[in-house]
Amino acid sequence: MASLLKTESLSKSFGALAAVAGVSLSIEEGSLHSIIGPNGAGKTTLFNLLTGTFPPTSGEIFLGNQRITGTPAHQVAHLGLARSYQRTTVFPAFSLLDNVWTAAFATRRDWKGLLFKKSSSYDDVQERARQALGDVGLAEKQNHLAREISHGEQRQLELAIALAAAPRVLLLDEPAAGLSPEETRRMVELVRSLKGRYTIVLIEHKMDIIMRVSDRISVMHFGRLIAEGTPAEIQANADVRRAYLGGMAA
Amino acid sequence: MRKEIVLLLISVVLLPFIVRPAIATEIWIFAMFGLGLNLLLGYTGLLSFGQATFFGSAAYVAGWLLKHYGINVLFALAVGTGVGALSAALVGYLCVQRSGLYFIMLTFALNQFFYFTAYQWTSVTGGEDGMPGIPRPSLLGLDFSKPIVYYAFVSAIFLLSLWAMKRIVEAPLGKILQAIRENEVRAAAVGYDVPRFKLAAFVIGGAFSGAAGVLYAMLFGIVPLEAIGFVFSGNVVFATLIGGSGSLYGPIIGSVVFIWLSESMSTIWARWPMLLGIAFVIVVLFLRGGVVEAWHRFSRLRA
Repeated sequence: MASLLKTESLSKSFGALAAVAGVSLSIEEGSLHSIIGPNGAGKTTLFNLLTGTFPPTSGEIFLGNQRITGTPAHQVAHLGLARSYQRTTVFPAFSLLDNVWTAAFATRRDWKGLLFKKSSSYDDVQERARQALGDVGLAEKQNHLAREISHGEQRQLELAIALAAAPRVLLLDEPAAGLSPEETRRMVELVRSLKGRYTIVLIEHKMDIIMRVSDRISVMHFGRLIAEGTPAEIQANADVRRAYLGGMAA
Repeated sequence: MRKEIVLLLISVVLLPFIVRPAIATEIWIFAMFGLGLNLLLGYTGLLSFGQATFFGSAAYVAGWLLKHYGINVLFALAVGTGVGALSAALVGYLCVQRSGLYFIMLTFALNQFFYFTAYQWTSVTGGEDGMPGIPRPSLLGLDFSKPIVYYAFVSAIFLLSLWAMKRIVEAPLGKILQAIRENEVRAAAVGYDVPRFKLAAFVIGGAFSGAAGVLYAMLFGIVPLEAIGFVFSGNVVFATLIGGSGSLYGPIIGSVVFIWLSESMSTIWARWPMLLGIAFVIVVLFLRGGVVEAWHRFSRLRA
């Protein structure tokens, strides 16, 4: 299969710290590609680079055949890259439906009526928003406020916001962060159900999740890629074990 | 929703019988000014301390044209709205580059810049003395020199601008601005060019302020220097917070309270601003949603 998202020697330094150092990554279309690594390995920074939160120090990013290096975040979304955040980043005072509505409207092809048409009268946006909430199992709570639902549900909403943009690539930053074992199990099912429908890049700490859902895994350590392969290959890799054990002992 | 509109229409009809028509007129003008600010403050979460820039600039330009060229009232309004929007585009463009405290200070600093320009440019603005002699030419046989006729005209414009603002905040733009208020990072991540939307809020808010500025100049027949000063900018923030910045109607209620208090109490008690101060402290400490929230709490208590 063809690669949909690709980086070439992507680097980002903050002062003397090389958070991401020469990462060349290729994500196949339709696959679920996980990125693992100890805390501070540069995973989230890599996501921030891919989504244009800040520009890289050097290196290139390609989406399909298009070079998207340095494209600002709001434009990246229009190109079909949607992300969820490690720390819940929703619109707290909005209803769940409004949360996803906002994301669904953003990637609509035209913004006709932006100034005077009632928000609720955009049938296609409304439909896509409901669909996204349904996909994560929050359809019944659509009128609840985002700040009033549980942490687990907020994590689901986080995902729904990313889905509502109807992206080509879904970047999920630790979707199971802070979830109870039961909630984690549900989240894994959810991610699994999205597999195949989207090209997914997943950052996760919980190894059991990674091993169960991933097609391919890349391992980061101190900003570098130290290994890449199928779950079985990664499990057998000595460098990876050392990085993880070293990370824990430190 | 319907209930609010009915209540408002009744107030519009009754107000000139309760207070002097000039004060009643000023209340709705100030309410329009507040509507414009609240798009920034309440909906986008941007505290602008420079709204008088747009109000005053529009009042000076339209006032000048009214005075020297005797232009039509509606044309004056259109000019004022345009000047308000344009000056807001200039100021807003610079301000949206920064956020937080720096944003607020920029709105304030640019307001001062406009203020001192008006202060120095005495040949046009009259400086400290203001720009007097602004006429209120009749329109289609309506004699605006009669206070009650002018009141009716201002009320109509006010209701029209309220309707327009209601449409805007219920349209996608309103939701996007609120999304920016709620979470700027996420709003950008889902695909909105945040600075551009903030600028749009500035321009629209500036247009409302400009229209209000023109009506104000015609009401008093003068553009006082204060109309472009920072105290005026502060007053509209003050009034909006007291009324409730979380709601479309908050600035309207705030304007009624603020203007009515300042006009009626200032003749009785020289220290009347203390009342506003107390009201403000109460709002900040206990009633973040202002009078609107107090009303909601009261009606819940009754239910």
